[in-house]
Amino acid sequence: MQDNLAIALMGFPSQLLPEIILGLAACVLFLGATWKVSRHVWGTVALAALVLAGLAMWSVHHSHTPIENEPKAEFADTIRFSAPVLYTKFGVLFKLIGLITGVLLVLLGWDEGGEEHAGEYHACLLLIAAGIGLTGAANDLITLFLALELISIPTYIVLYLPRITAPAQEAAMKYFLLSVFSSGLLLFGFSYLYGVTGTTNISGILDSLGASQGGIATRAVPTWRGLVLVSLVMIVAGLGFRITAVPFHFYAPDVYQGTTTVSAGMLAFVPKIVGFAALLKLLGFVGDSNGQAMGSQAPILFWIMAAVTMTLGNILALWQTNIKRLLAYSSIAHAGYMLIGLAVAPRMTGTSADAVNGVEAVVFYLAAYGAMTLGSFAVLHVLSQSGKTVENEDDLVGLGKTHPVMALVMVLFLFSLIGMPLTAGFVGKFLLFFDAMSVFSSIPEGNAEAVRQATEQGRLYGLLALIGAVNAAIGAWYYLRLASAMYLREAIMPLPAVKTTPAVFAMVVCAVLTLVLGMFPSTLLSPIREAIRPTIAGQAKIAADGPKVAQR
Amino acid sequence: MDFFLGTYYPVFMYLVVVIGFAIAAPLTAHLIAPRKVTPVKQMPYESGMDPIGDARMKFDVKFYLIAILFLVFDVELLFLYPWAATNQTTGSLIPSAFKDVVFWEIQAFLLTVVVAYIYAWRKGVFKWR
Repeated sequence: MQDNLAIALMGFPSQLLPEIILGLAACVLFLGATWKVSRHVWGTVALAALVLAGLAMWSVHHSHTPIENEPKAEFADTIRFSAPVLYTKFGVLFKLIGLITGVLLVLLGWDEGGEEHAGEYHACLLLIAAGIGLTGAANDLITLFLALELISIPTYIVLYLPRITAPAQEAAMKYFLLSVFSSGLLLFGFSYLYGVTGTTNISGILDSLGASQGGIATRAVPTWRGLVLVSLVMIVAGLGFRITAVPFHFYAPDVYQGTTTVSAGMLAFVPKIVGFAALLKLLGFVGDSNGQAMGSQAPILFWIMAAVTMTLGNILALWQTNIKRLLAYSSIAHAGYMLIGLAVAPRMTGTSADAVNGVEAVVFYLAAYGAMTLGSFAVLHVLSQSGKTVENEDDLVGLGKTHPVMALVMVLFLFSLIGMPLTAGFVGKFLLFFDAMSVFSSIPEGNAEAVRQATEQGRLYGLLALIGAVNAAIGAWYYLRLASAMYLREAIMPLPAVKTTPAVFAMVVCAVLTLVLGMFPSTLLSPIREAIRPTIAGQAKIAADGPKVAQR
Repeated sequence: MDFFLGTYYPVFMYLVVVIGFAIAAPLTAHLIAPRKVTPVKQMPYESGMDPIGDARMKFDVKFYLIAILFLVFDVELLFLYPWAATNQTTGSLIPSAFKDVVFWEIQAFLLTVVVAYIYAWRKGVFKWR
């Protein structure tokens, strides 16, 4: 036992090799930038560090077994209930997303801001990429909080460094103060969670709250449900700021508008993905538990938040003429769509292994949203590079004639944001809405009361799907307005020609990802399933490999 | 584990003392303090500085830099001192199996502090301009 514990506590540095490499590279960049001023040198070093981290991830993948596949159950439990970070498939998935995001951000930020700040800027981006990976791996409230702050603190610098104007200062200050406030709320929630369960280990907390089905010790704490609820509300509030869920969305439009296009793109995606990753972990959505660790009221909370967030985001986006503000409200609306998945997931535990569970849909939507939103900010950034800042709807007028390729790429991202078929956005929305609809169809046989409750829930979630569909239609209006400005109006003053820069490459990668995820969603869906529901994925695999073995 | 309110009596007693002091101190001052009315004493905020003027004052950024540097060393001390005190003693709080790992963690922490220090140095924080 003692040996296992020592292995659990000491084994983690080797798993975190990619993050350690990124952190060291960030140190090199911070120091090196004080000797040499060059955006190309430091951009290249940052890219090299990300590639090296990718190689490290590959080698870690070969030398470590994910905890779900650990053959010795007792050893796995010891690690699960004591290690501050876990090597899980969920963690690997987020590490990969973090590295890809890091590469895209470094490419996008290549020409951002003054040359004298390039080293520091890229160092902050590396730390953000490391933070995403660490959030996915965290298995302790403290590690999780540190990982979230590892993203927040460089974010403040990234918001401020490239452009020092009054709006940028306001944006950085606003984000800083509200982010610190939300971290405070999160910590407050954590403190209650620790008080109730007596541990900061997330697996231990979920076990204490009776969420996980297996486990070494079930120290259930039934009498403290009220305090758990306080903690649930505080954690959802603290993370709600990061995912820009209503009513914690107020900062988004001002901050996106004030800061540079690349920083806005980063803000639209990175805090969302870590916010959702933390929610999935803390509420026990990962694994075979049902996401009701902190009380059965959680789905209702997410139901309300989802409905309000998407409706408010979409309706307010209708009035915007500044594209960055519009994309900010669109980002709020998309957070609403993703929350549908969290609301639905607990009701879908009984459904078959073939169905895509709500949580899987959320993770898929996050990846799809990352590709399309980073892509649309990338288009704006690329267009802005020849001198004229492209910020308003009127700046895009006539783009279809003056820059046909750029216009086409922008339309691809806009169509994906609407949810047109063949794009990633369509698959994401389809999965989420379909999940909400399918609750109605899974009414169990049984006594009248159970059937009545299930019917009521089915109606409730059907209504949520309806609200989502109506919102998707509202969203189409303002995205198509941008498309119509590009193709149906004549440019009075055409934008200058686009320069070929690293940002163009990032834009192309986003476009390819949007199309590939739209046409071949299973390339991402099956790794997501393995990460979220390892046992069900295993059963499905057995069923596919040898139907005779798995016959029930 | 049962919950005993009795465990927390010292906290409540402390609370009573704190609230009592917060009320008693200004009250006593109000009752027994001598009163000499002078223009300076009539100012809304009596301190060494003249509080009249715009509330937005520019402070030299040097002060902030010094404050940050102070934090670098202060936090360093905060971590190093307890570790150094317990690491070498027998029967310490750190189980012997973890001593190596904790040692390297401290080295990693020191590395970040050193990086921050060199960064500040290179940026010219130590030049008092």
